[in-house]
Amino acid sequence: MISVQNLSHSYGEKLVLHNLTLSIPSTGITVLTGHSGCGKTTFLRLLAGLDHVQSGTITAPRQVSMLFQEDRLFPWRTVAQQLTDALPHSRHGELSAWLSLADLSAEAHAYPSALSGGMGRRLALVRALSQPSALLLLDEPFTGIDPQRIATFMDFLKSLPIPTVLVSHQSEILAQCDTIVKIP
Amino acid sequence: MMTSITSNKTARILLPLIVWVGVWQCCSLALGSEFLLPSPLVVGQTLFALLGSGAFWQTAMLSLGRVLLGIVIGVALGLLLAILTWASPLADLLLSPIIRIIRAIPVASFILFVLLWAWRDLVPVIISALMVLPVVWGNVSQGLRETDPKLIELAHCLHFSRLKTMRLLYLPSALPYFLTATTTAMGLGWKAGVAAEVICLPTHSIGTEISYARLYLETPTLFAWTLVVVIFSMALERIISALLGRIHRRWKT
Repeated sequence: MISVQNLSHSYGEKLVLHNLTLSIPSTGITVLTGHSGCGKTTFLRLLAGLDHVQSGTITAPRQVSMLFQEDRLFPWRTVAQQLTDALPHSRHGELSAWLSLADLSAEAHAYPSALSGGMGRRLALVRALSQPSALLLLDEPFTGIDPQRIATFMDFLKSLPIPTVLVSHQSEILAQCDTIVKIP
Repeated sequence: MMTSITSNKTARILLPLIVWVGVWQCCSLALGSEFLLPSPLVVGQTLFALLGSGAFWQTAMLSLGRVLLGIVIGVALGLLLAILTWASPLADLLLSPIIRIIRAIPVASFILFVLLWAWRDLVPVIISALMVLPVVWGNVSQGLRETDPKLIELAHCLHFSRLKTMRLLYLPSALPYFLTATTTAMGLGWKAGVAAEVICLPTHSIGTEISYARLYLETPTLFAWTLVVVIFSMALERIISALLGRIHRRWKT
């Protein structure tokens, strides 16, 4: 169980999260919803340990894999290299399977500048999925990805033994998640 | 008509060449003294005479070798010091002022200092290295500092080691800055190296030949050797730009 107690966070004068208390199941897919600017991304960053908790407590696994709202691909690394860079050396043999999940086998040797928006997003998503972790945090993972491929990724997420927390506004995604948490 | 001239590749090379050689010829005719300003034809004849002699190539290659050695040393040291001063605040505190002083000291003063302490044949090597080092250091340091913070955060999330972060993130981020610095440093190092040769007169060097031409009032020879310096400088810059550009284009296409 991921537990959050009285969590507050502000950027300068701007209070983003105010006294947030919630719990997230330790299995399945949890989706965070809420209006734009309500602090969903901030909440994911706090869960990932990327920002310091200013007030309140978070109890969550420390080994976290995070997909950011932006793709954050290394412009000088090919598609295959982006994945092998992220994988431990002993797991480099899994490369073709991850490329296949991203449907980017034909683009293995392409640089990010040659990829479409959707391709870049799939690559970033698969890179996050390939990371060894106890908690998966995905910020708007399916932006620019077509419905058929979203279904493939959702099936993959459902098969994972670790909890997934994702941010999404897409109603078809919300319908497939196990838990919906609304950030006020 | 004017657009077709400026867009034609051959015309873009030939037109300025013809115009400025013409201006040179007119100035030479106006002055009427081969000693003060020899005509392009006389300089060309002198240059061809030089090109035909075996000693010319020996002199040119030795000068080029010395300067290139200095540039390679300067680039390597500049790169290493940039990494060191970026990675260690203490190294930055101690070394940055010294490198800034090196950058500010006039090249002529440096040549005279180094001539006091080093063998004259080594002076152009040391001077080229000293001129190149601060340029590479400054640019690479800037490149390292301006690495995308979002990618730094990503590297942290992907649990990259320090070495892996350096290899996969910081060095590629600094590469465009390094390429610009190296191209600039090539011209700078070459000019400073020849200037050092003019002052310290090493055996078989372009600078020594320029100095002797000045001493014996052989203005056409002085112009011919200066032309050699210009041609070598432009050729070096072209070669290094082409080589380094290939590396850079790999991730831009």
